[in-house]
Amino acid sequence: MISTLGATLKYRSLVGTANQASKVVALFSPEWTTVRFRFHADKVAKGPVPRRFGYEEKIFKGGLLPRTSYQDKRLPIPDYKPKNSWNEKRALFGQNDYIDILGPSNEITQKTLHPTQLLYNVPHWLRGVKGNEYQVLLRKRKFVQKEGYPITHPTKWAELNVRIKKLYKYLNTKTKSPFWKHA
Amino acid sequence: MMFGFGDEQNPYTESVDLLEDLVIEYITETTHKAMETGRTGRVQVEDMVFLVRKDTRKFARVNDLLTMNEELKKAPTRPPLPIICSRKLAFPPKFKIPRQVWVSNMDTVEEEKLGLIDLHPEVFAERPRLDIIHENVRWQQLYRHVSYAHTKMSYEVRGGGRKPRPQKGSGRSRHGSIRSPIWVGGGVVHGPRSPKPYFYMLGFNARLNGLRSTLSAKLAQDDLHIVESLDIPTDDPKYLEALVEERGWGPSVLFVDDHDIMPLNITAASDAYGHYNLMPVYGLNVFSMLKHTTLVMTLSAVERLEERILFHLNRNDAAEATAKYKLSSV
Repeated sequence: MISTLGATLKYRSLVGTANQASKVVALFSPEWTTVRFRFHADKVAKGPVPRRFGYEEKIFKGGLLPRTSYQDKRLPIPDYKPKNSWNEKRALFGQNDYIDILGPSNEITQKTLHPTQLLYNVPHWLRGVKGNEYQVLLRKRKFVQKEGYPITHPTKWAELNVRIKKLYKYLNTKTKSPFWKHA
Repeated sequence: MMFGFGDEQNPYTESVDLLEDLVIEYITETTHKAMETGRTGRVQVEDMVFLVRKDTRKFARVNDLLTMNEELKKAPTRPPLPIICSRKLAFPPKFKIPRQVWVSNMDTVEEEKLGLIDLHPEVFAERPRLDIIHENVRWQQLYRHVSYAHTKMSYEVRGGGRKPRPQKGSGRSRHGSIRSPIWVGGGVVHGPRSPKPYFYMLGFNARLNGLRSTLSAKLAQDDLHIVESLDIPTDDPKYLEALVEERGWGPSVLFVDDHDIMPLNITAASDAYGHYNLMPVYGLNVFSMLKHTTLVMTLSAVERLEERILFHLNRNDAAEATAKYKLSSV
């Protein structure tokens, strides 16, 4: 604290040259003014105040990538693999979706193809189908049972039937139907 | 000239000057000689041929060039531009002014304007409704989407029939099955159940208007170009790239033709690039038009497209045709 304080001797100004006595008194009674030479820039230049000297910090405080020094384990971030947005599937996405408007109509029936008929990525019994789980499963059962599904997938067939039965019970006993609105 | 013979691409100016001097000297010399051989005072082609008759290589080259010149003269010449001047519109609009567009060629890299045609304003000059375009794109993405995410309920998970430990006396919690939803590896409550279709059908008119809005937006933004046909002289992908670059199309271009069997050259050329695609008119859709920066249509494609859209706009049985979608009706 003391080292940062400087002391400056200031002489009182001479009031009149004739007054020699006051001049002598002035010479021997100096006025002490303390000036603090402490600047923020100096403090910053000195660096942080050492705290817990000798203690080694074990936590990485350098920003991102906390495991730079550990080579054995990688962070669970998948590698970035950009997708080719112009492969054939993506480049021609949506083709024939307006075929009922733009397509040629059949000469006899005067009908065009409907886009739902061309959803080849969807199982045939699910093309153009909208509905909740129960409705979809009922339709699935109706179609796949003719195709040998019970024999080829016996467990899934059993689970399908169990699920339909449970949903039937739930929908009929636990939920309100639209007709119950005013009941 | 030096580059043409497979030499340095950027030769020194000194050597270029030297070569030029040599060539000019040779030309003046032969011309003078030719003037002397034939009728004095006039240079004729025959005199030049006569002069080089003993140098077999030069003679062959001169012969080649002369025959090529003859053939070029015989080749049929195109009638003077513009070739296409008018186009008759079906259902002529009463109040709206037809849009005029240039028809250009595809057989040269540089654009030649072959003519000017009218486009029907009901199809190509509608107010581009962004909301309609958006609902069309959304429909296109969703109506084909099926989520196959699946979790098993506790009764579907294998095992779990036995009580894991007695009800009392073990000092631990009470459980009846190791497949209960609170167990790791147990069933999942309210999880996704496969298959979940996101299908819905957008109304007929909404889709028709989606096409009109998108086509109009493309034309208004100078992203719709009409060409006479998709015939290009070579199957080199570089040609197509240079053409697209020269005309300021792209980067991605959708070429639309009336017929679904496209010319061989453009099929081979566009096959090298994923972002140059070919599509018949019946395959055209809002999503593809928006995905590709530029839409290039042939004249016949424009005819077909306009015919189809105007037919639906003016048909008498619209109520029946635009009826609500039913699964049984398809």
